[in-house]
Amino acid sequence: MKAKLGVLLAVVGLSYLGLSYLSVPLLAHHGFDTEYDKDQKLTLTGVVTQVSWMNPHMRVYIDVTDKEGAVTNYNCELDSPNNVRRLGWGKNDLQPGDKVDFEANPGKIVKNRVALVKITKVGEDKPLFKRGKPDDPKQSSSK
Amino acid sequence: MKPGELDALLQPWAKEVRSKRLEKDEPYVGCLPEGVPRINPYGTRFVESYTAKGLTHIFILHENGDSGAHRQVFMDGRKHPDDNDLFPSWFGHSIGWWDGDTLVVDTIGYNDKFWIDGKGTPHTEKMHTIERYTRPNFGTLLLDLTLDDPGAFTRPIEYRFQFKAMRPGVDLMEFICLEDNEYGIAGGFTPADENGDKEKAKQQGESKK
Repeated sequence: MKAKLGVLLAVVGLSYLGLSYLSVPLLAHHGFDTEYDKDQKLTLTGVVTQVSWMNPHMRVYIDVTDKEGAVTNYNCELDSPNNVRRLGWGKNDLQPGDKVDFEANPGKIVKNRVALVKITKVGEDKPLFKRGKPDDPKQSSSK
Repeated sequence: MKPGELDALLQPWAKEVRSKRLEKDEPYVGCLPEGVPRINPYGTRFVESYTAKGLTHIFILHENGDSGAHRQVFMDGRKHPDDNDLFPSWFGHSIGWWDGDTLVVDTIGYNDKFWIDGKGTPHTEKMHTIERYTRPNFGTLLLDLTLDDPGAFTRPIEYRFQFKAMRPGVDLMEFICLEDNEYGIAGGFTPADENGDKEKAKQQGESKK
């Protein structure tokens, strides 16, 4: 008897945690080291200006004001919108105007383009999002 | 395969090509298809298509949208086309059949544009892959993939992938890579940019009020 594959949905290596604590599996961010500095980590507080659910990488834009009052808008890259959704993050969970604490690896050349490591709404204990280490093993086993 | 073992199997021209390739130049980072076996490990769904004559097609769907939308496996007993009718493509021409409980997918007709891996391992249009899918239990799918390219490698290469079934209710979703591909800008280059105009990228990337 043949084993029918039918509509088997199969995936390698994703992990699913409860909604209260979301961790993004680092799904083979292609060329992380060509863009971001994994040895540096920024720790900042700011106000969300935009949440962009677009492929290939979702982005959160955050305004950060320095001591002199100058404002820099950070372009923070996450995983694909589909993967972030699968971990429970809803469309309305983060809105422009929300105040957030975040950690990120800066771009090697463009410092305000960053790879998001962790983000928490100010006043909440649990992070909305937390990424594994940038040098986690890549998902693809073809390397 | 042990680290470095793949290197030893490359023909000299292929080694040289690979040594000159930069990660940023892979077609995939510009949202072009990944090809086989690069696409294989990603989330996947097999969809069988029947007519009154039985199973005619299996579509292998991957989520990586425009860089891996679907592969078409002809299950109706046909052979591969003759050379004059075989136009090279990103995912090739696939025919399949059942060997007991094993699904066999035989593919030729790949173009040489995609990379075998992120390091830039090249291949030729002679590449031929044979995939053998088995399902030892409900939640596990095994793939043994043989890659045979006498134009680039000194012998065939074997890959083994293991898949776990996703929990019910999780589906593949739309993924249009081109809609907002900003790859490279943080690193001072864009995929199409030969040398990386760092200053231009810096101006493009920064925004201050």
